[in-house]
Amino acid sequence: MADLTKLAPGAAVLLQGNEAIARGALEAGISLAAAYPGNPSSEILESLADSADSAGIHVEWSANEKVALESAAAASFTGLRAMASMKQNGVNVAQDFICNLNISGVRGGLVLVTCDDPSGISSTNEQDARFISRLASLPLLEPATPEECLAMMRFAFELSEAIGNLVVLRSVSRLSHTRAGVVPGELPAGRALPYWDPKTRWFTVPVVPRHQVMLDKLARARSIMAASGFNRYQGPDRPDLLVIASASSALYAAEARRMLDVEGRVGILKLGCTWPLDEDMILSRLEKASHVLFAEEIDPFLETEIKALYAQNAPRLGVMNFFGKGSGHLPLIGEMTPGKLAGAMAGILGLSWLPVAKDYRLQATQLAQGMAAPRDLAFCPGCPHRASYWTIKQTLAVDGRQGIVSGDIGCYTLGLHPTGFERVNSVHCMGSGLGVASGLGQLKKLGFKQPVVCVVGDSTFFHAALPGLINARWNRSDYVLVVLDNSATAMTGFQPHPGTGVTATGQPGVAVDVESFCRAIGLPAQVVDPYDLGAAQEALYDALQQPDGLRVLIFRRVCALVQGRRGGHPWRMSVDEKLCRGEDCGCHRYCTRVFRCPGLVFDEARGRAAIDEVVCVGCGVCAQICPAGAIKAQAKEDAA
Amino acid sequence: MTQASAASTPPAACLDRLRQEVLDPGLCVACGACLGLCPHLLLYDGQVAAPDPCGLADGRCIDLCPQNPGPDPRQRRAGLQAARGLGDEAPLGPVRRAWWGRAQAADLGGRAQYGGVVSALTALALEQGLIEEAVLTQAGQRGTPEGVRVRDREGVLACAGSIYAAGGSLQALNQALAEPAEHPLGVVALPCQSLAAAAMGAHPRYPAGRRLKLVIGLFCTMNLSARGLRQVLGQAGVEGAVTRSDFPPPPAGVLVVTTRRGVSEIPLEKVRPITLKGCAFCPDLTAELADISVGAAEGSPGWNTIIARSRTGQDLMELALAKGLVEAKAVPEESWAHLTAAAAGKRARAGSAREEINHG
Repeated sequence: MADLTKLAPGAAVLLQGNEAIARGALEAGISLAAAYPGNPSSEILESLADSADSAGIHVEWSANEKVALESAAAASFTGLRAMASMKQNGVNVAQDFICNLNISGVRGGLVLVTCDDPSGISSTNEQDARFISRLASLPLLEPATPEECLAMMRFAFELSEAIGNLVVLRSVSRLSHTRAGVVPGELPAGRALPYWDPKTRWFTVPVVPRHQVMLDKLARARSIMAASGFNRYQGPDRPDLLVIASASSALYAAEARRMLDVEGRVGILKLGCTWPLDEDMILSRLEKASHVLFAEEIDPFLETEIKALYAQNAPRLGVMNFFGKGSGHLPLIGEMTPGKLAGAMAGILGLSWLPVAKDYRLQATQLAQGMAAPRDLAFCPGCPHRASYWTIKQTLAVDGRQGIVSGDIGCYTLGLHPTGFERVNSVHCMGSGLGVASGLGQLKKLGFKQPVVCVVGDSTFFHAALPGLINARWNRSDYVLVVLDNSATAMTGFQPHPGTGVTATGQPGVAVDVESFCRAIGLPAQVVDPYDLGAAQEALYDALQQPDGLRVLIFRRVCALVQGRRGGHPWRMSVDEKLCRGEDCGCHRYCTRVFRCPGLVFDEARGRAAIDEVVCVGCGVCAQICPAGAIKAQAKEDAA
Repeated sequence: MTQASAASTPPAACLDRLRQEVLDPGLCVACGACLGLCPHLLLYDGQVAAPDPCGLADGRCIDLCPQNPGPDPRQRRAGLQAARGLGDEAPLGPVRRAWWGRAQAADLGGRAQYGGVVSALTALALEQGLIEEAVLTQAGQRGTPEGVRVRDREGVLACAGSIYAAGGSLQALNQALAEPAEHPLGVVALPCQSLAAAAMGAHPRYPAGRRLKLVIGLFCTMNLSARGLRQVLGQAGVEGAVTRSDFPPPPAGVLVVTTRRGVSEIPLEKVRPITLKGCAFCPDLTAELADISVGAAEGSPGWNTIIARSRTGQDLMELALAKGLVEAKAVPEESWAHLTAAAAGKRARAGSAREEINHG
């Protein structure tokens, strides 16, 4: 990312949504930003990290989202402005703190940015994190464009300080990763020194009166937000259909209205401040419409709350018709699109509208398949996880007791798919693999005979695995933990983590290594190179045969992409066509059909396996799985 | 060029049948007949497994498996006997001649099981050039038996003695047969392995199987899980490498295990639970499909019962007698009657076990 302090105030520039959020925070004068990486939020902190030196602020990747928000709150308690950014799942991790911080309140402006991922494009779920505002009675802002990202961030800090509480800003994947013209404002000239008056305390008791204080803050926020100008209506005074929309869905609604050529019949109330609701403005629009469609991602958040608001005012408003996710006019799942909204609008207005032929999607898919190289959802060529899962698959098979693999969050979640030989039995959230394994490891006395392997990445290990590990150790749970240590937070873009010993700004930190931690709780951890299939399989088999307790193996090999940047892998691979058995008995395309590294292809014309030299990185692992010894690894230096 | 897709695996693969008939019901006896043919079948520490789909309809694994019953197990055995010009006489299989015998060579003393005849005959076959290489069984990593390939007397002597656990030793035979070579091979085989060896020799898509010129069979009542045996020995406090193990005839009721530290007796009730489930389906006590079968001589420690079945087997034994490598005497009638009854009992029990699994 770029140093955002270098942007010239007043000069339009193309910024990604996430960069605009970061620039907005800088313009608001933040002093501390903390985050845990997770798509689609990661670029916010990366931009801030690259601006940290120039801005003179502290920016860090924290071990997890809860710690990130707690660190940011600490800065707020000293009077500084601070923020924490995360993906939707991170809000769950931070939730316990949020639901107490909302009562204690804050001093310096404090903003939580959540970047949600409708359709779960790079997530294990498509959770709508706006729930946190409703749950914790916190103001919620939903920008629709990068320009609004910047403006709303500046506003969010003002609002936070005005009411003395945390403010939530919610982005979504399409906004975070879109680029649009933004006009940056001025950066602040200076900032106050952090100071915590020892007479002030931040806490939550007595709960009941402080609960009232929290609600009073929310009421103040309602009036400030109503005056912000982020809620706008555009359309005829008395529309046939009123669309109430937030964020990107407001843009989609405008596009759908154009596509249907109904700009004279449909009005759009675009809400940027979505909690608490600007009730006066919304009621004034409801008075002038009898048909209302809600457009938002992902849950019917506005829809539910505005229908409740209507119920309160129904005697005055009379009978109204509400459409959206509740009525079935829009799906409850997946991203919103202009097409979905156009379909809903057309249905309500009684227009016939067929955007594309019914079998268009099928035809387009077939056409595209012919043009694109076939690719699985797969581990990268040379990925150590492929080798690790190969070992897990082979070893559990010869162990013969129908072993179970408890999985976790990271690149290695793909072990669910053929690229990991479908050798993962359970995946939920960060660290939950260890908790599930801990429970499974107690079931032997109840008759559970299957061995349990838990896989966890190095970054996840530090994020959320430690309590599960300690629990298992304490309660004598019986399983084998395999730490898939690729020395990177690879899934989210190679951010550093505690094990790397480098901080977000590239400065040296103190490396925290997995094996030292394990040793400290009395677990000797054996380090194995997953590229050495024989050694890894033997180590895992031996661990599985040990009778009781928790055993730890660390499969350590740096991420293949990181290795690529460090000068690559040592081997040039080739296939000896005379030895390759192709489709013959006893092999049947073993390497391309079963091992499935993208660097291996099957040459149909010659009936033999081949190396795709553009894709292959030269890790050498496939040479170990070829039963005919046909795949050869030659040192690149010798080959050159 | 294409990347293989998941759709490239057609149904009804040979390996699917092997899983369905043998591996999944737990009937595998780890003989090793399916191993070494392809990368899909794995052996580790005595356990056979197949984690991936193979996709071949006509692979050999299922055809060679002695635990694959086929439509008529009896017919299958009779067919394999007929393929080598022999009959399927009940209950001992074809018998050309039988002896009690024991090896004369001093270097066989101590290690060999009973009379040392297997080692003597194998060494003689190698020395005579009847075979150039023999596949035997030896304790490998973790004490689990595994196949080894030997070419001379020293190699044979290193493998003397029974282990009584399954270790997939035919894997080494398949590996030897896969190499581009022409020399004749021999194998020392349990009854299940003798069946597999006969299947290799007769399989239309296994031309290298014709190189198998000598099968020396071993009598067998049941085999043990290698891991189970290790566990039982561990629980009994037996430490270190086992140099010799034996089931003395009734009424002993024990497994006798010899290590460097001494001799231990494990009660049979500890051993029965680790018997391979698949052994209950085997009708063959005396390796009926071997060229020559060797086992204990009841009530006569230090002697073997020897049954020559084929011309090759008889010639080898008679040469050993002529050279004074083995001394022999007639099998006492009472002992022969006991062996016949025991063999008939095993056939009957296997038949009922098969009935039970088919209809129960």
